[in-house]
Amino acid sequence: MHRDQSKALIELNHVSKNYPVASGSFQALKDVSLMIDSQQLVAITGKSGSGKSTLLNIIAGIDRPTEGTVTVNGIRVDKLSESELAAWRGRNIGVVFQFFQLLPTLTIVENVMLPMDFCNTYSRKDRRERAFSLLEMVGIQEQADKFPATLSGGQQQRVAIARALANDPSLVVADEPTGNLDSYTAAAIFELFAKLARDGKTVLVVTHEREFSSYFGNTIHLTDGAITAAEPVHS
Amino acid sequence: MKVIRDLTSNYPKNLMLVLAIAVGVFGIGSIHGGYTVINREMAANYLSTEPASATIEFEGKIPDQLLDSVREFPGIDKAERRATIEARMKVDDRWYPILLFVIDDFSRMEVNKVLPISGARSPSPGGMLVERTALGVMRANEGDNIVVQTPHGEAQSLKITGTVHDPGLAPAWQQQAGYAYITLEGLHQLGESQDFDLLRLMVSEDRFSRAHITRKAEQVADLLKRNGITIHEIQVPPPGQHPHQSQMNTVLTIFIIFAFMILALGSILVATSMSTLMVKQVRQIGVMKTVGGSPGQIAGLYVLMLVVICIVALVVSIPLSQLAAAKFVTQIAELLNLEITDGSIPWTVPATQIVSGIGIPLIAAAFPLLRGSRISVRAALDNSGVSVTSKASTWISQLSSHFNDTARLALRNAFRQRSRLALTLGLLAAGGAMFMTALNVSDAWDKNLAQIYVQRLYDQEIKLNDRISPDSLLNKIAQFNGVTTVEGWDYSPTSFAGESKYEITNTYPDMGHGSFTMLALPANTKLLNPIVTEGKWLTDEGTNEIVLNQLARTSGMKIGDEISLTLENKVTKWKVVGITEDIGSSAAAYVSIQSFTRLNGSADQIKMIRIGYTDRSREFVRKMNRDIEALLEESHASVGSTTPVWLLHNAVAAHMKVLVNSLLAMAILMAVVGTFGLTSTISMNVLERTREIGVMRAIGATPRKVRRLIVAEGLIIGILSIVVGFVVSIALSYFMGRFIGHISFRTTLTLTISMSAITIWVLIVMVGSYLATILPARRANRVTTREALAYE
Repeated sequence: MHRDQSKALIELNHVSKNYPVASGSFQALKDVSLMIDSQQLVAITGKSGSGKSTLLNIIAGIDRPTEGTVTVNGIRVDKLSESELAAWRGRNIGVVFQFFQLLPTLTIVENVMLPMDFCNTYSRKDRRERAFSLLEMVGIQEQADKFPATLSGGQQQRVAIARALANDPSLVVADEPTGNLDSYTAAAIFELFAKLARDGKTVLVVTHEREFSSYFGNTIHLTDGAITAAEPVHS
Repeated sequence: MKVIRDLTSNYPKNLMLVLAIAVGVFGIGSIHGGYTVINREMAANYLSTEPASATIEFEGKIPDQLLDSVREFPGIDKAERRATIEARMKVDDRWYPILLFVIDDFSRMEVNKVLPISGARSPSPGGMLVERTALGVMRANEGDNIVVQTPHGEAQSLKITGTVHDPGLAPAWQQQAGYAYITLEGLHQLGESQDFDLLRLMVSEDRFSRAHITRKAEQVADLLKRNGITIHEIQVPPPGQHPHQSQMNTVLTIFIIFAFMILALGSILVATSMSTLMVKQVRQIGVMKTVGGSPGQIAGLYVLMLVVICIVALVVSIPLSQLAAAKFVTQIAELLNLEITDGSIPWTVPATQIVSGIGIPLIAAAFPLLRGSRISVRAALDNSGVSVTSKASTWISQLSSHFNDTARLALRNAFRQRSRLALTLGLLAAGGAMFMTALNVSDAWDKNLAQIYVQRLYDQEIKLNDRISPDSLLNKIAQFNGVTTVEGWDYSPTSFAGESKYEITNTYPDMGHGSFTMLALPANTKLLNPIVTEGKWLTDEGTNEIVLNQLARTSGMKIGDEISLTLENKVTKWKVVGITEDIGSSAAAYVSIQSFTRLNGSADQIKMIRIGYTDRSREFVRKMNRDIEALLEESHASVGSTTPVWLLHNAVAAHMKVLVNSLLAMAILMAVVGTFGLTSTISMNVLERTREIGVMRAIGATPRKVRRLIVAEGLIIGILSIVVGFVVSIALSYFMGRFIGHISFRTTLTLTISMSAITIWVLIVMVGSYLATILPARRANRVTTREALAYE
């Protein structure tokens, strides 16, 4: 999965994650070590409860490891405070959720502008322009001034992807982004991710959908919190 | 099991529901509780003194035998001889009025009873008992000596040998006068030779019928007359009514209005909370239906859960509301000179709280509950994540698009749950409206009070005990450096001459409340600036012209009407030429001094001196008054009372305290309830949007940004409430000004907008909104991004 350590965008060393449960502790990740190079579309697969989302969350700084170190683009993510994490994530990570999670009180273009507003990237007048260009890139610029509730699931996910790209992050993470979409729309979304990887982004996708495996440069397979396979896949 | 798990699984959420219900129940309990206790205690206090149904003012001596005959007179239950002397007391080297109540037998008081508090039960020679509220005015304590001078006596030192409570009197600080109780022997020691001159009567039947009381008092007066007693006046104050009953009625009316407002707003708070709860449980309902739960079973679960929440709210709020009610009662009691003998809140109050605290939430929740329990399985299971349906109104979206990111999002979030927003706005705006109204009315009252100085161009009023030929004394006063004008006036208590052969007045035993005075003055007086609202002022030529103030005007009276007034036992005829609007006076009729002396047979004599000074400052007036009083002493003028205008101003101002303090207390309560409502609303909003906050943090919002966003939302609601509250306060101030002006002076208070009220309220709301939102904001930030994203 990696050829040259110096080129690795993401590096996990002996990462474990335990959650307290009624019966004691549940280990979601077990001593996971991996490196992911930049400019790839990587799939994280596995059964439900195998630790896919936990791994993705730890890489994106949404969750913290119980043990081990997480380095993304040279930054020790596990050492950042909650506030530093939010600022870092806003500038360096684009997050795409299964249920889109667009803010219902903001219009489409305002949703895309939000990360720029939060992180104060780009000048105020450039933000709207950039948001429009991102919406154009994902193909829904006509819907810019509508509210999310008026859009279909596929359209909302495109907006979510545009929002994830707002601050031009090097890494985009998506947790089952097509789980709530039909296969036709899902294929279009994966095509969009593949294009992002071709354009220089690293895209990390948690998915169950084996039929889209052709899009992935690499696949990390998890079983019971441990990596059981990491194989290159033909594109 | 599900009910217990639901209740224990999310404490903050359930705590908010408990708080929402508790706020409403607290409001109902504290106000309803306070209302019932004050209502009961006021009646109990006043009636416990056995207030006289009527008082006959007479001249002569009623021997014991005649008194016994009166006591045995058909329809008379009790009778007691009394006297009330308007005297002076020296406090801090200045003279103040003091009422000396002369009591026949302190151990056998049956009418207008005073209740012993401490010290002697009966004043010893050279001593007096003092009404508890008068100690402050006298700046003295039990055991201290006070210099007292009666109209015909020398100034003498009297020792305060005990304190009493006289619930029939307004607090002394409101009247700016002392109240003391002495024996007849004590009065004689003070240099007065007079005997008892009042006969207080209690009728045995129809105690609340003014007509019956008057009839019985007239019959007793006839009896006295047959025994050689001269009858001056029969006083029949409103039966069973405390002298401040009208103010009290106003206060209680305001209480009731507030109680209903809080009840209504509390119910909306509960309804919204229930609706939120059902929305948040939709997915679980879908699951339960999938596994076989019927709509009835599901509805039953939530009813049970709601009842448990209500019970917790009741357990918390009932004791707290009782404490608040007790505090409230204490404050009002102090303002009305009431002694709370039984502060217990009747069972009906907690019963009302229980019924409304469970019933209203159940009724309010019925609709969302039925709707929720009947939702289809498919629709219920589809419900997840960030709400996609709620969106702000188009105009809000357009308006907010001009703001930066924080303000834009905060503004739209504030308008997201419109019913909840309306509730919070309602609570805060109602608090603000009442707060601003209280201060606006207070300012309007002050403005009206300032009219006392505009209307009265004199600074000192001296009432003499006997009529004197004034020229040399007036000339001497006029010589003083600093005196601009001095005029000789006269006065006499009066009443409308009716069918009765006696003079019937409404005067209370404190001789002030309910009194009607005829004031005789030079028609071209320089010491009065009357506000004539109808007709004209007195003219020199008018021989029987009379001008009445608004309190003396009877309903239907017109300019040009002929009226008959009693004047020292004679019936006199007058022609009404004008109506004035007086501030700070009781009912008064103005006549020219020439007409008065002619009818009264007191030519070239006066009984009152009014003096104007060059400088109206209190310090100057005090200095001048000391000099004038020294001159009066030198001249051996028998001074009944000396009243500077500022003292009158203070006395009238003190009456308003009851109302302004009550309004302010209610306003503060509303502000507290409003802030609770805001906290509850923001907490609900934050809880509902926990996942949304997680999303924002996932895409780069720092905890500081999230906190700013939530606080901004609270501040926006706060600012909106200020605007709404301000608008409502203007309307409310207008009506309240009419209401209070009418019951106080029978005039309308000028609509006044208090800038300090707005400033203070803005500060309260801003600080309150900040505090109300900072806790939910902190809570939102304590949840990790992962937890927030996983929140359902």
